[in-house]
Amino acid sequence: MPVVAAAVCPHPPLLVPEVASGAASELDDLRAACLAAAESLATATHIVVIGAGSGTYDAAAGGSFGAYGAPSVRVGSGPPVLPLSLAIGGWLLEQTKAARLPRTYRAVATDTAPDVCVRLGQEIAGSNDRIGLLVMGDGSARRSEHSPVHLHPRAEIFDTTVANALQHRDLDVLNALDADLAGELQAAGRAPWQVLAGALEGTSLSGDLTYEAAPYGVGYFVASFT
Amino acid sequence: MAVRPRTVGRVNTGDGVLRLGSRSFGAGEFALMAIINRTPDSFFDRGATYATDAALAAIDKAAAEGADLVDIGGVKAGYGEPVSEAEELRRTVDFVAAIRARHPDLVISVDTYRSGVARQVAEAGADLINDTWAGADPDLVNAAAEAGTGLVCSHVGGLSPRTDPHRMAYDDVVADVIRTTTALADRALAAGVRRDGILIDPTHDFGKNTLQSLELTRRLDELAATGWPVLVAVSNKDFIGETLELPPGQRGNGTLAALTISAWLGARVFRVHDVPAARQALDFIAVLRGTAQPAGTRRSLV
Repeated sequence: MPVVAAAVCPHPPLLVPEVASGAASELDDLRAACLAAAESLATATHIVVIGAGSGTYDAAAGGSFGAYGAPSVRVGSGPPVLPLSLAIGGWLLEQTKAARLPRTYRAVATDTAPDVCVRLGQEIAGSNDRIGLLVMGDGSARRSEHSPVHLHPRAEIFDTTVANALQHRDLDVLNALDADLAGELQAAGRAPWQVLAGALEGTSLSGDLTYEAAPYGVGYFVASFT
Repeated sequence: MAVRPRTVGRVNTGDGVLRLGSRSFGAGEFALMAIINRTPDSFFDRGATYATDAALAAIDKAAAEGADLVDIGGVKAGYGEPVSEAEELRRTVDFVAAIRARHPDLVISVDTYRSGVARQVAEAGADLINDTWAGADPDLVNAAAEAGTGLVCSHVGGLSPRTDPHRMAYDDVVADVIRTTTALADRALAAGVRRDGILIDPTHDFGKNTLQSLELTRRLDELAATGWPVLVAVSNKDFIGETLELPPGQRGNGTLAALTISAWLGARVFRVHDVPAARQALDFIAVLRGTAQPAGTRRSLV
């Protein structure tokens, strides 16, 4: 069985209320959209979480938000090894019905070549399980004058391209995202989105973009593929 | 909760006296550093002291209000218009010479990361190089060593062109700050910078989120335990603004709270915008700590 559902979510630490403290309510909409998208993965028999970073981990792998100032928030049961993107993914899943499913975390380095990402997606889709794919990825961190990294003139058009490709399930556009440009724009989602593109190839899942904004100058997208 | 090491870096074994220019600051004595920006785009004063006359007047006022040091910055710390070395020199060198002529005993610090600027401002009379970019120019320690100035060793979380500068993560932010700043201090010492002129600065906000800057403030005693004099620059910073939800112009009370805790936990040099407020707070804390006498105690004693 191939991929039966997929979800795309961003991974700012700020999504975790204990990290955001009094600012938590500012991301209520985003958090709700992420949880709804993650919930849609519960029809699968195995969850695979993809995000920027390195390493492959099993469902028990630990994650912590202590490195961002909230040591009380933990994911999994092991020592905190998950990179941020996967820790946020695990944190979302644990709040959904998909929490009980077997889970694998797969990180991809931000500079992984597009064809390697696509092949990884195809490989995941070749599993015997009914896969629910949670794809963690941010748009450009250079969207505005107040972005963490200073405004880049191509950031907005890049993010708009990604948003349209997610909405319309345009795998060719996702496959063609330029790794160097994404690096320059500090868009952490490029490699994970290309894994998604590879994984969706043999499916008829259609996309639904449920959130698209850059409230702090970093592009956030949420999409469901069902 | 994990057990934290009390000291991570090597402990400074000097006599604990900080010597800058003609001044000496013993252990337990607080030194107040007034911020004077020679930039048109500072986050706080938005260029109020960009012009030379206004800047000199601000220096005179700060000295009269109790500043021991002045910190002159020719380049905005955050993102902004590029400032060439020539322009930075134009904003700082003659200005330092003018301050030196007017205030022979005022300690002059220059906030620069360029060794070329450090050499020329030292020649003009600067006593301290405040390297806010944590040794980005490796020749800066040599400039301080050759000129005999002091040096501030700071922590910016490894910010450099090839690292991701957002979402800074630390297993233990305090341990990281101690490791980084004491390593820079050791390097400065090895390069010949005077042991009694080296300070470490945890550099709140730079490469840190608010929770991390709060943690640094809360655990400042661990930095002080390294033996290196600790400089804190908390004045009006974003971690205070985010904690209290206040814009830059309304962070004065929060600044005094952070400054007071820092002083209590062992900081020795305080970089501030509001000199009289900080001077009062520090004078009060010095009495509480027993390193100074009250001005006069008549109440219920006559």
